[in-house]
Amino acid sequence: MNGTMMNRTITTILVMLCVSLCAFAQKGLRINDVFEGKVILKSKMQESLIKGDNLASYNLKVLHTVKFTTPFKLRREEVEKLFYEDMENRLSDDDENMELETRNGHLYYAIVQLSDTEKGAHRYICYQCRDKSGDYDITLVYMEGKASLADLRRTFKKNNK
Amino acid sequence: MKKVTSENVQELLTRYMEGESTQEEQKALRQYLSNAEKLPEELRPYARMFSLLEEKPQTPSTEALNRFAEAPQPARRHIPLWPLLAAACLAAFAVIFLTPPKGEENMAIAYVEGKTLNNEAMAMQMGQEALQEIFSNGNEEEQLTDLFNEQ
Repeated sequence: MNGTMMNRTITTILVMLCVSLCAFAQKGLRINDVFEGKVILKSKMQESLIKGDNLASYNLKVLHTVKFTTPFKLRREEVEKLFYEDMENRLSDDDENMELETRNGHLYYAIVQLSDTEKGAHRYICYQCRDKSGDYDITLVYMEGKASLADLRRTFKKNNK
Repeated sequence: MKKVTSENVQELLTRYMEGESTQEEQKALRQYLSNAEKLPEELRPYARMFSLLEEKPQTPSTEALNRFAEAPQPARRHIPLWPLLAAACLAAFAVIFLTPPKGEENMAIAYVEGKTLNNEAMAMQMGQEALQEIFSNGNEEEQLTDLFNEQ
């Protein structure tokens, strides 16, 4: 192998390595800011993070929820904006993949299926904001797993318990 | 050349040891001390020292040196750099992609009021409640309750 060929090989390997590292780091959803406590302090939130076998009965691998109450419209709008930005990656606008309701020009609740992960798992983000006497009760959920939206509806709708 | 005698030998030896003697004096001293049989006892160590200095070190013959020079030298190993770099990159790939991602490990944690609780049951309950709340939004009963609360 001559010098030029060797340099090309090394360059190719290094470029491939850098690209793969960048791809690996691209995990991001915009609503991660909320989960990470960048919008509302973690100490003001109730959060649950469940991964692995605990969710096997729901056919899920990851369930991450946060719940908090804020009196500030700006906070609600910020969370809503981040959620809408993530909705850009929704699988489709079909009812099968999305459920959404707005009230007074604001998102009231939404369940949205995003594009699948590289490993073929389905991803969902959910949002709910209830206006209770000037306070906003906000719930945000991220789910990942093999369960379809229909499965999740069957499992979690209260009247189906 | 100054002649070495039993009277001046000590003086010449002192000059020699201090590096002040001339070539001629050194030669005369060597000659004087080489006659060891006649030397007094205290001069014999000096005689031994001079005789050792006289001995020429053994040097290899020219023929032997030539043979060594003409002998085939073992080829110098050239270790190419690129396989090492490629191996390092492959190792990095393996670490990144073959290590199970953290997302697949089992975990159930609840954070309440800034405190982390490793309470699986509580985490599950909080998760289930959040999902039930959201997925029940389509229910008419739930919607009526919400509308009532908002007013």
